[in-house]
Amino acid sequence: MLPWNYGFEWNTGHIVFLGAFYTVLVVVATTVISAMGRARRDLARDCAGDIRWHSDFHDLPASDRMCRHVLTGEFRRRECPNAFDCRRCQTHARLIERHPPPTPEEPEEEILGMSFPLDRFYHRGHTWARPEPDGTVTVGLDELASRLAGNPEAIELPQPGTKIHVNGPAFRIRKRSAGVRVLAPVDGAIIETGSLERSWLLKVKPSATGEPAFRHLLRGAEIHPWLLREMERLQLALTAAGASPALADGGVLVADMAEACRQADWDAVSGEMFLEP
Amino acid sequence: MDKALIARGVKRCTTGRFLLWILPWLGLLAFGLYSAGLCLVKGLNQTNMDNRFAFGLWIFLDLTVIALGAGAFFTGFLLYILKLDELKAVINSAVVIGLVCYSGAMTVLAVDVGQPLRAWFTFWYPNVHSMLTEVTFCISCYLTVLLIEYLPIVLQNRRLRDVPHLMVFEHELHKLVYVLAGVGTFLSFFHQGSLGGLYGVLRGRPFAFREGLFIWPSTFFLFILSAAAVGPGFILCTTFLVEKISHQRLVNRQVYRLLARISGLLLAVYTAAKSVDTLIWINRTSPGSGFAAEQYYSWRPFGTWILLAEIVLFGLIPALILLAPRLRAHTRWMVAAAAMACFGVALNRFVMTVQTLALPTLPFDPFLSYFPSWQEIGTFLAVVAYGVLVYSFSFRYLRLFPEERELRVEPARQQAGLEFVER
Repeated sequence: MLPWNYGFEWNTGHIVFLGAFYTVLVVVATTVISAMGRARRDLARDCAGDIRWHSDFHDLPASDRMCRHVLTGEFRRRECPNAFDCRRCQTHARLIERHPPPTPEEPEEEILGMSFPLDRFYHRGHTWARPEPDGTVTVGLDELASRLAGNPEAIELPQPGTKIHVNGPAFRIRKRSAGVRVLAPVDGAIIETGSLERSWLLKVKPSATGEPAFRHLLRGAEIHPWLLREMERLQLALTAAGASPALADGGVLVADMAEACRQADWDAVSGEMFLEP
Repeated sequence: MDKALIARGVKRCTTGRFLLWILPWLGLLAFGLYSAGLCLVKGLNQTNMDNRFAFGLWIFLDLTVIALGAGAFFTGFLLYILKLDELKAVINSAVVIGLVCYSGAMTVLAVDVGQPLRAWFTFWYPNVHSMLTEVTFCISCYLTVLLIEYLPIVLQNRRLRDVPHLMVFEHELHKLVYVLAGVGTFLSFFHQGSLGGLYGVLRGRPFAFREGLFIWPSTFFLFILSAAAVGPGFILCTTFLVEKISHQRLVNRQVYRLLARISGLLLAVYTAAKSVDTLIWINRTSPGSGFAAEQYYSWRPFGTWILLAEIVLFGLIPALILLAPRLRAHTRWMVAAAAMACFGVALNRFVMTVQTLALPTLPFDPFLSYFPSWQEIGTFLAVVAYGVLVYSFSFRYLRLFPEERELRVEPARQQAGLEFVER
């Protein structure tokens, strides 16, 4: 269908038809090439983790994307517009300026038989971050996550020197042949790796220090309502994944949930609880 | 065995049951490929078509699946251009249906045209005076667009998302999908119209010939309207069928009702336009060609019942059901009406293809009859089997219904009596 083909004439009809046809081809090709170029740029900027989290966050059920201020009753209904990164949320900044979080009276909170020390910050993907006096940050799994994973088959920790980003992958846990990535609570570079026995997993040299660097993490009075909600999510995930009724009122979570609920689809449960849909 | 490829939190049957499901379809596909192979190797003498009856089962199939596959472009248009966000729940499924329909139609067309080694002649030496040229170009382009739209759906597979390069490319391509939706809408409008126009310009066939606007006969617009009307209806029917087969809810009932409302509204407009067009044809176009319209319906089995069935039974009635909120609220009524609308469009394409060619146009012409050969039927069935297989694999390994996981948790949420969970 080109000017040198049989039957072609330089008339309006041919020019309009061919013009439209070739425009379509150019638009389609440009779109694909543009997507490839943008993807290349994203990879060069090391944005893959961020993109993955935003995509995962978008795929979470609407009820799991709720703002932290719904947990504390400041909003009745609000979806987090920043994919759980409150550092850039003006609403969060305004609210904590208006009602600064109270300093906890107890050093530790005991919730449903689980201990949550209040000297640290908690990520909604079940990790904690504790600022150390030497300027580093220690990262570990919270008690709920530890009981979910129990005695994991493997924990794949990154090598020292690896950079991690908030809401990007920090490490992976493998249990009952199901692997799940755990989200990083802070930005920084890994300087040392630990183990579950040492009750911490990563020591990180943070990219930023001070309150703003931890603004996106839960603390103090937020822990209790958040954990109650997480227990409900766990109950829901277990029921949907085929487990028989579990978590009776007043009961305490067993040390190794994955082993205790053999009939549940553990891949689905861990994906739900560690925010990896 | 293949659990690692299946999305988290969704329910799929065991690998064994899945193999049992696909086995008969694979058998049908093999039979169909053999039939198509015979037609390609030995020629069109394997079919019951001839120089007088040159359009048969395959062209009927092409026109029907292209109309039913219009849900892909129309849903894309409603979602990405008109921003009807509720349709996100079915857009992936719509793209797969569109891809299956268009690729199936192209394959059958290739068998019908024959000489596969010279397929490129269509593009390089086109007959610029033929509406089929426009159809060929548009369908080829739109199939390419559908393949590109299908790519992000494939790349969302759980395993493929673990490859950073693919995941980032999928993300970026998905961001630009509105461009493809726009191009798809443009192409679809034109080729649906051209397929209709193809019949409307047949001056030698007064049964099909229609007047129109400028160079476009009325069938150009009627084909666009009917395809846009049944596209959402077909998505509704397939989603309902998949829900029944997989024994689970896949989309919210509001999405069903929205699709039904859109389909009903467009079907009502189409039925009105078709009625006006038929009246003009009966009173002006056909007498102008020297034929009284009623004589076309004196050849059995094509009596006036076929016209009434097309306009009233499969046009007006489903349109009224889909537009009535009380009836639409009942899933059975809604799905039955959508299925009737789809059947109506299939009947329209049958009439345009088969009845047009069967009717005599000259005094010495006989009434022609045609029944497809087993090779034609085999090729037809291969397209059906191919469609079922592509959709089955896509449903199993890709996320065709983004709401599925959440809807699956819903009964558990109610069973657990959770109060704190936001809805």
